Amino acid sequence: MAAPCPLPPPDPQFVLRGTQSPVHALHFCEGRQAQGHPLLFSGSQSGLVHIWSLQMRRALTTLDGHGGQCVTWLQTLPQGHQLLSQGRDLKLCLWDLAEGRNAVVDSVPLESVGFCRSSILVQGQPRWMLAVPGKGSNEVQILEMPSKTSVCTLKPEADAKLGMPMCLRLWQADCSPRPLLLAGYEDGSVALWDVSEQKVCSRIACHEEPVMDLDFDSQKAKGISGSAGKALAVWRLDGQQALQVCGTHQLTNPGIAEVTIRPDRKILATAGWDHRIRVFHWRKMQPLAVLAFHSAAIQCVAFAADGLLAAGSKDQRISLWSLYPRA
Amino acid sequence: MMAVFDTPEEAFGVLRPVCVQLTKTQTVENVEHLQTRLQAVSDSALQELQQYILFPLRFTLKTPGPKRERLIQSVVECLTFVLSSTCVKEQELLQELFSELSACLYSPSSQKPAAVSEELKLAVIQGLSTLMHSAYGDIILTFYEPSILPRLGFAVSLLLGLAEQEKSKQIKIAALKCLQVLLLQCECQDHPRSLDELEQKQLGDLFASFLPGISTTLTRVITGDFKQGHSIVVSSLKIFYKTVSFIMADEQLKRISKVQAKSAVEHRVAELMVHREADWVKNTGNKLTILIKKIIECVSVHPHWKVRLELVELVEDLLLKCSQSLVESAGPLLKALVGLVNDESPEVQAQCNKVLRHFADQKVVVGNKALADILSESLHSLATSLPRLMTSQDDQGKFSTLSLLLGYLKLLGPKINFVLNSVAHLQRLSKALIQVLELDVADIKIVEERCWNSDDLNASPKTSATQPWNHIQRRYFRFFTDERIFMLLRQVCQLLGYYGNLYLLVDHFMELYRQSVVYRKQAAMILNELVTGAAGLEVEDLHEKHIKTNPEELREIVTSILEEYTSQENWYLVTCIETEEMGEELMMEHPGLQAITSGEHTSQVTSFLAFSKPSPIVCSMNSNIWQICIQLEGIGQFAYALGKDFCLLLMSTLYPVLEKAGDQTLLISQVATSTMMDICHACGYDSLQHLINQNSDYLVNGISLNLRHLALHPHTPKVLEVMLRNSDANLLPLVADVVQDVLATLDQFYDKRAASFVSVLHALLAALAQWFPDTGNLRHLHEQSLGEEGSHLNQRPATLENSTTAEDIEQFLLNYLKEKDVADGNVSDFDNEEEEQPVPPKVEENDTHPDVEPPLPLQIQMAMDVMERCIHLLSDKNLQIRLKVLRTLGSKCGDFLRSRFCKDVLPKLAGSLVTQAPISARAGPVYSHTLAFKLQLAVLQGLGPLCERLDLGEGDLNKVADACLIYLSAKQPVKLQEAARSVFLHLMKVDPDSTWFLLIELYCPTQFTPPHPSLHPVQLRGASRQQNPYMANVLRLLKELQ
Repeated sequence: MAAPCPLPPPDPQFVLRGTQSPVHALHFCEGRQAQGHPLLFSGSQSGLVHIWSLQMRRALTTLDGHGGQCVTWLQTLPQGHQLLSQGRDLKLCLWDLAEGRNAVVDSVPLESVGFCRSSILVQGQPRWMLAVPGKGSNEVQILEMPSKTSVCTLKPEADAKLGMPMCLRLWQADCSPRPLLLAGYEDGSVALWDVSEQKVCSRIACHEEPVMDLDFDSQKAKGISGSAGKALAVWRLDGQQALQVCGTHQLTNPGIAEVTIRPDRKILATAGWDHRIRVFHWRKMQPLAVLAFHSAAIQCVAFAADGLLAAGSKDQRISLWSLYPRA
Repeated sequence: MMAVFDTPEEAFGVLRPVCVQLTKTQTVENVEHLQTRLQAVSDSALQELQQYILFPLRFTLKTPGPKRERLIQSVVECLTFVLSSTCVKEQELLQELFSELSACLYSPSSQKPAAVSEELKLAVIQGLSTLMHSAYGDIILTFYEPSILPRLGFAVSLLLGLAEQEKSKQIKIAALKCLQVLLLQCECQDHPRSLDELEQKQLGDLFASFLPGISTTLTRVITGDFKQGHSIVVSSLKIFYKTVSFIMADEQLKRISKVQAKSAVEHRVAELMVHREADWVKNTGNKLTILIKKIIECVSVHPHWKVRLELVELVEDLLLKCSQSLVESAGPLLKALVGLVNDESPEVQAQCNKVLRHFADQKVVVGNKALADILSESLHSLATSLPRLMTSQDDQGKFSTLSLLLGYLKLLGPKINFVLNSVAHLQRLSKALIQVLELDVADIKIVEERCWNSDDLNASPKTSATQPWNHIQRRYFRFFTDERIFMLLRQVCQLLGYYGNLYLLVDHFMELYRQSVVYRKQAAMILNELVTGAAGLEVEDLHEKHIKTNPEELREIVTSILEEYTSQENWYLVTCIETEEMGEELMMEHPGLQAITSGEHTSQVTSFLAFSKPSPIVCSMNSNIWQICIQLEGIGQFAYALGKDFCLLLMSTLYPVLEKAGDQTLLISQVATSTMMDICHACGYDSLQHLINQNSDYLVNGISLNLRHLALHPHTPKVLEVMLRNSDANLLPLVADVVQDVLATLDQFYDKRAASFVSVLHALLAALAQWFPDTGNLRHLHEQSLGEEGSHLNQRPATLENSTTAEDIEQFLLNYLKEKDVADGNVSDFDNEEEEQPVPPKVEENDTHPDVEPPLPLQIQMAMDVMERCIHLLSDKNLQIRLKVLRTLGSKCGDFLRSRFCKDVLPKLAGSLVTQAPISARAGPVYSHTLAFKLQLAVLQGLGPLCERLDLGEGDLNKVADACLIYLSAKQPVKLQEAARSVFLHLMKVDPDSTWFLLIELYCPTQFTPPHPSLHPVQLRGASRQQNPYMANVLRLLKELQ
């Protein structure tokens, strides 16, 4: 490790057990919805969503809405007590969690069986935009929610041969209201779509293996992607909305399931198939820690607003880590 | 007596002759005649004739010339009789009678009361008292006009003189009572009217002249010999404070004008009058303060509680009425009050508390700047001298000092923060507390007492008290022995926690806790009480509107203290010398942990060199044990303080507490168990099992994380063991999860720490077997064989009965031959020696997941994983581990192990027992602390159950028996004898006959007569009936066999 003063890697602050199934998705929920005590949502291979109280370190409720099929993505909507869950049962469920309710109030049928996670962009209340893998194997579908109106389908040019979309990130530059979509593809490339014009602004082939996940820091206009291979790629977006590879970081073992930048954009964490969580300094891309605790591949990592890191693994455990706590 | 003469006329007729007679001849007899007649006259008639009757009496008193005392006495008595039945309606008469009566005790030659008989003195005092009571209506007030001052003054000084100097207690009391009457303090029902402001002022002006005399004289009386009797002191105190509080009343004084009003009294009297203006008040106040201090000093230690009780009244009265005029005295007065808060008499205590509450209600302290300042100052100065007092005073002195401290805290309430905010004073205070709470850690028993069986968690919290400190461990302090002092100290800390700034205090004492091992235990005790106090559950609050620490904040504070308590360096302290479980690598990695803090310890606390007996090592281990216990008790107290809120802290506390419940040191394990009960109570669990079961997820979290640092947490497997015992099948997934960690850790440390893991695996298999009862054949067969064994054992006594017939013997012989035949190998079928394999369970075909292999049930998978490890451990080089593994495996799959055991293990075990036996037989008491002893004990304890479960053959059983026989000798350590007996008890179950024979050969208590004369008498080796070292144990075992 290149860290100047390597301390022994820390232990998890605590470990949540009880999903009884590999954990595929994690999402922190804070603020009003949780009455001051942050909650953690986890989605498991057995199709259940567990809602964990971080204060009690126990599961409060279990949501069963995906017919036993793996839950791959979880997201809460900022305005209310609503949770989105994406399952491999080809359904995206919208849950109402207000006042102790836990019922599916709406669902969006999906047409792709892949592992591609969806993405949302909340522009103005109450409307929001949803990007989901589309019907055609290389398509991304954009919906306006909550009306579920299809806005458009983003389909690469026929000769591009990008393969399936693997990961999606909707965003919006501060200076422009145009929604943009970053998508990682099976062929190892990352493309920037202008959603309104339905065209690819820029595309870079930054991995040799399928892109598994990406995260984007819109302030620095810089993003990172991880693949099934042994490298992390850092790329940025210039003024002309062209993607450029800034560098790659080689890993000892292949396979990154998820990469997440901490909300304060200081550090980032990756979920490794090699059972390890890796933590990097975001600006310098300096490796800070390799966290070994899990006994199987890590499938997801998430940061809470206060910096708490959660990792979900195939070994059915969710580990929580307090790293470089901010003063 | 019935009045005979109702009308004045009749009465006059009767009385006239005697009155005339008396006027003519003044003799005792004539006075007595008069009095006799008077008794037959009704009160109303008497009133009519009052002046007439009084005339001869007064005439007698006034007649110049020497008089016999006896005559005066009878005249006074008669006068008193008349006055007691009549009213004095004229002021003039009142004044004259007053003067005439007073004059009876006047001796012109001296200032002192005349040297007359005690009877006369008493009569005159009674007379004066009765006279004042007979004054009709308002004339009593007009009596107290300035012109009476000289005469009144004379009477007052006369009475004071009597009260001070008389020998007779009766006279003293009468004089004091009379003084009360004169000063209008009489408590009888005859003075209903209360005085208005003007009247009060006039009387105050008048009485002010007597104040110096009254106060000094009474002070002398009060501070006089304790032996003079408490009632005199009580009365004097009462007059003192009533007089002072009347004359010095702030209410009155604030109405006094600066310039004295011209009064129309003659010059002589005017000179005697006092004008109570500011200067006079200040001077008098100062002088009174001196007297009050004297009184307090003397009375607060008065042996009679009624006197101390009166002191409380004095304080209350003076502080309520004269807090401004007597501002200088307020400090001493409060101190006196506060000092009596913990008086040994419950009456005084109750009154003190009542007064304190009254003060608080009236905002006497909090609302009154001056008094609050005085109290703060007193607390300041007490805090300053406290460290010195705590070292220099004896228990009684400490008790009163701490009572005083407690009282100040109670009285100041929330205002104690003024004192606490001063760093210097907080330091003084804390220094004193820390100093006095120092424990005596020289008791060697604490380290020695071991807990052999730590698994008993069956106690129910319902049996324990609701308050944690009712079962607080008795401890010994270096600087005091009186338990009451400890209670006081706790109350002091609780009050500090209740009123004080908790953040400040906790910070301060946490700092001391961290600073040095010398302070650590005391600081922890204080922290525990601070939190208890802050919760306000036990504090008697005098300041009702005080806002308690809010629960959220309290929980945060508790969380931070708990973090410190359960941190690696404060929770895992060396408490025993054994290194067995510590592991060598720990000592190498963390020399700090092992360095038992002895160096620091001796520096300040005690130079242990002075005592040669307990070694520094023992002392510091004791100290460590106490620290852990105090911290454990603290956790219990925190739970009590937080109630249900404590549930949120279980995730971090349950694991460490449970760990300590399994500690080898008896004290620690006891305290930890009671802490767990406190937790049950607070969080609403009905039993320890319930607590553990419901919080297994937290425990698993702790276990799993600690297994990652096993060297630092060597007791982790033990916690899992306890958890397993208290879990049920519902927790299987959780258990499976942590078992993965356990097995992974075992794989990593199989060479160093296998021993502690094997017992966990054993517990796991036992738990699995219990949660998932086997319904297959194996178990059934096993039970059957057990049953047969049992019945075989039961049949045995029948064959020993005396009514043996020839047929029985024949049958026995035949059976014997047959069995011998079998033993020689002439048997057709052998037991099936196949290995027992877990039966693969039938799993339903599941078409929906064609890519997933049907998994084994979780419990079977776990059991297989465990067995796999155990097989490897069978070849471990550590004997104890091999034994434990064998027991684990033996209980589950006996047959297959038998051969390996007999071939590889048994010879070594037997060999080691035989070679070690002579050594242990010779060894002294210290031997029981050696590793060799523990090994012997473990082997002996383990062999019995193994032999039984593995169902060993005769030859191997003999090997076992031979090796263990020597341990039945009385020369062996008791524990080894006990263990050896247990081996034989097991052997009896397997083969009772040969065991019996073996024992009988060692020592035979009876002669065996052959059942039939045709048989030869048996000669047994053990039948010598000589005393031998095996006798006792053999007899005990034989008794079991019958």
